[in-house]
Amino acid sequence: MEKKRITFKVFRFNPAVDDLPHYESYVMEVKKDALVLDILNRIKWEFDGSFTYRRSCRHGICGSCSIRVNGKVVLSCKENVFELTDIFGDLLVLEPQNKQKVIKDMVIDRVDFWNKYTEVKPFLVAKYDEHPEVEARVSPDEASLMLDSDICIQCANCYSVCPSVRVNEKYYGPAAFVKAYRFIVDTRDHNKKERIDIINEPEKGVWDCVKCYKCAEVCPKGVNPIEKITLLHNQVFKEGRAKNNVATRHAIGFKKSIQKNGFLDEGFLVRYSEGIFGTMKHLREAFDMFRRGKIKMPWNMPSKPKKMNEIKQLIKVASKIECRRKW
Amino acid sequence: MSESFIKNIPVQEYDVVIVGAGLAGTSAAMDIQKAGKKVAVISKLHPLRSHSGAAQGGINAALSAEDSPDLHAFDTVKGSDYLADQNAVEFMCQKAPETVRWIANCGAVFSRSSDGHIAMRPFGGATKPRACYAKDRTGLALLQTVYEQAIAAGVRFFSEWYVSDLIYKDGVTRGVVAFDLLGLNYTIFNAKAVMFATGGYARAYKVTTNAHANTGDGLSIVARHGLPLEDMEFVQFHPTGLAGRGILISEAARGEGGRLYNSEGERFMEKYAPESKELAPRDIISRCIAMEIREGRGVGPKKDAVEIRLMHLGERLIMTRLPELRDLAITFLGQDMIVEPVYISPTAHYSMGGIPCDIEGHVKKDSRGTIVTGLYAAGECACVSVHGANRLGCNSLLDALVFGRHTAETIINDLNNGTLILHKVTAEDADAAIGEVEGILHSKGEESVPVLRDRLRESMTENAGVFRTEESLLKEREILAELSERYRHIHIDDKNRVYNTDLEEAIELGHMLDYARFIVEGAIARKESRGAHFRYDYPERDDKNFLKHSYMFMHSDGTIKIEYGDVHIGKFKPKKRIY
Repeated sequence: MEKKRITFKVFRFNPAVDDLPHYESYVMEVKKDALVLDILNRIKWEFDGSFTYRRSCRHGICGSCSIRVNGKVVLSCKENVFELTDIFGDLLVLEPQNKQKVIKDMVIDRVDFWNKYTEVKPFLVAKYDEHPEVEARVSPDEASLMLDSDICIQCANCYSVCPSVRVNEKYYGPAAFVKAYRFIVDTRDHNKKERIDIINEPEKGVWDCVKCYKCAEVCPKGVNPIEKITLLHNQVFKEGRAKNNVATRHAIGFKKSIQKNGFLDEGFLVRYSEGIFGTMKHLREAFDMFRRGKIKMPWNMPSKPKKMNEIKQLIKVASKIECRRKW
Repeated sequence: MSESFIKNIPVQEYDVVIVGAGLAGTSAAMDIQKAGKKVAVISKLHPLRSHSGAAQGGINAALSAEDSPDLHAFDTVKGSDYLADQNAVEFMCQKAPETVRWIANCGAVFSRSSDGHIAMRPFGGATKPRACYAKDRTGLALLQTVYEQAIAAGVRFFSEWYVSDLIYKDGVTRGVVAFDLLGLNYTIFNAKAVMFATGGYARAYKVTTNAHANTGDGLSIVARHGLPLEDMEFVQFHPTGLAGRGILISEAARGEGGRLYNSEGERFMEKYAPESKELAPRDIISRCIAMEIREGRGVGPKKDAVEIRLMHLGERLIMTRLPELRDLAITFLGQDMIVEPVYISPTAHYSMGGIPCDIEGHVKKDSRGTIVTGLYAAGECACVSVHGANRLGCNSLLDALVFGRHTAETIINDLNNGTLILHKVTAEDADAAIGEVEGILHSKGEESVPVLRDRLRESMTENAGVFRTEESLLKEREILAELSERYRHIHIDDKNRVYNTDLEEAIELGHMLDYARFIVEGAIARKESRGAHFRYDYPERDDKNFLKHSYMFMHSDGTIKIEYGDVHIGKFKPKKRIY
């Protein structure tokens, strides 16, 4: 089998002996079928027993072993090393999922992540018989609403790359919303109202998502968290629970701008969602945006696209698709 | 060891302490908490990382009109090569339908048939389709559900805490000694009842489906107190592990219609099991595959595998029912089952043996069934025995869930009727455990843990695997004696107290070396072939001498003594197994 020599530059920190983190390099011959977890094991078993990381199932189902390789978050038991060298070359840098939360080497503190998991009430609320004679029926259509939200393995890849989590500690983050979604669409659940309230909370809830799609990119199970977050946005409106606040006006303003101009008028969007006083807070950013051409003066606005009708039609269709989903 | 550790060791009091947070432990904790008892679950992993989550194919229950618990029981007993205790099997199969409905009503996301019922698929050794499934990640669905309901009930979990000893003195269970991985601080958990749900022991093999964590710690901990382990020689080898890696390709692949072929393009199961072919039980298929490979009809670069072909099932079926399996074969072997065969070979998978228990979950201290006050076990670490010499697919999740919950019921009753009281502990009760851990932490020997562990696992696969002989087993006995001696001179690199997995792996190796000897001694003494235990030198089943459970005791000098106990035979009289 094909082999090559690869240098692994590895983040090391042991709070019992190190004041600061440092990097150590390990060079080894690696076979073509090696996975990142194989490398972590070899470092521990062949070089230094004190090297520390979490792992268990070794086949992508327990969610323990996520780390970063050259900045890319990966579930190490599912990531082929050669595929990474194809992208990054023969020097691979192994780091913990989140350097700010390191306990030791690759092991990070996950307390915040698990707390948020618990805060969205991740359990079915239903009256059920302890010795049931029949099962609650769920049609395949109803079951398909889950959209694989039930297979999240809590590896926290999405959570660790989410820019909103980074700037707002309170924000639940993608994994917790996937969990919330999983129960909101469960036809057997009796707690929908409270669930919507939880994900609709300012700061903590879904409105802080910036739609960067990173969560979808890094999910090793193909769960696609942002798809669920968007469906939760829609759901809040649909249930009539949207409050008149910056976040919801932002969503509405977005649609209005496109409907009116055929493109996004960022200046309008800020005025619409934050009001005049709110906008004043952003004068500095507004100026920067103006300088970079993101905000245009009314007389410099680009002309409307020729096929405005088509755009309006698209908006109409897109709105209908959402309605067709059976909640 | 410094004095201060012992003086300051904190003691926490509980009604019940459960060790292990997989399906059995967590479901038990939920019921005990709901009954208003004070319960703690201690697990060396976060509960959702437990290996129950890795179960793929399904959970058996006779839900359909054409099926019955009786038929399920018959299949299970026949599958077990008649070594299962039939009263226990009957109980489990009777309980299966309500248990599966219950977990579904708790929220488990099962795959559904067009009329909204739980979908079922055929599985090996089963006369009717009764494997209720959630695609090919049934264990994940069930583990999530019990954990979710347990936190809803308010169960207290100690995640990433390692239990290093049971406090068992004068025939009485008092609790456990544990430490947190984060800081290596010892705590005594003083409890009226202790339940072990620590999982299986197939990690002693090199080629295995098991997680890194499945080091069978609970078994050695119990055995070191002079309590017996039962039927340890029975280790199930799953026929379809990804070649070289041992990673599981679920029996669901065959349940959905996958076929096995050798290098000559022959569908070889037709000659070994003309009736059920690929749906014969696992022990039989594993032997057939091993035989094909041994006789030179293997595929792959080392000719040490056979092919499983699923191409004829089509992309749609594979993507809706076996998506996880496809992904695994691509990740580990680069083989896409939609368009090409996947290379597989047998892999150590499941532990039929374990801590002997009665149907109620009480741990037994001898072959006559005397129970240990205050000690319980359930799940893969326990031997009830519902699987006998060979477990049927989809009976493991069932075992864990039925007996996890039933043991909880027993514990609640035993607490309510005053059978159990809190026997106070003293700091000295932790001496042995702390001595062991601190001893390893400060060890200065020259032997390396990974080296000894590799040797253990390679030699077990080689000498105590699918095929065994007196010669190979005696050789393995020697190797284990040598490794145990060398283990006394190990060292570890990490001498610090923060998240020390070097220390954890060393402790685990000690456990593996101890219980591996039970596997080998049981296999040497069992001069017959039954279920997963196949002896070339005794290829036939011998009901006259060995229709018996083996109970093995480890003496303080390390020798193992075996006594045999009766098998509970019910309405199914032992017959030759033909599939």
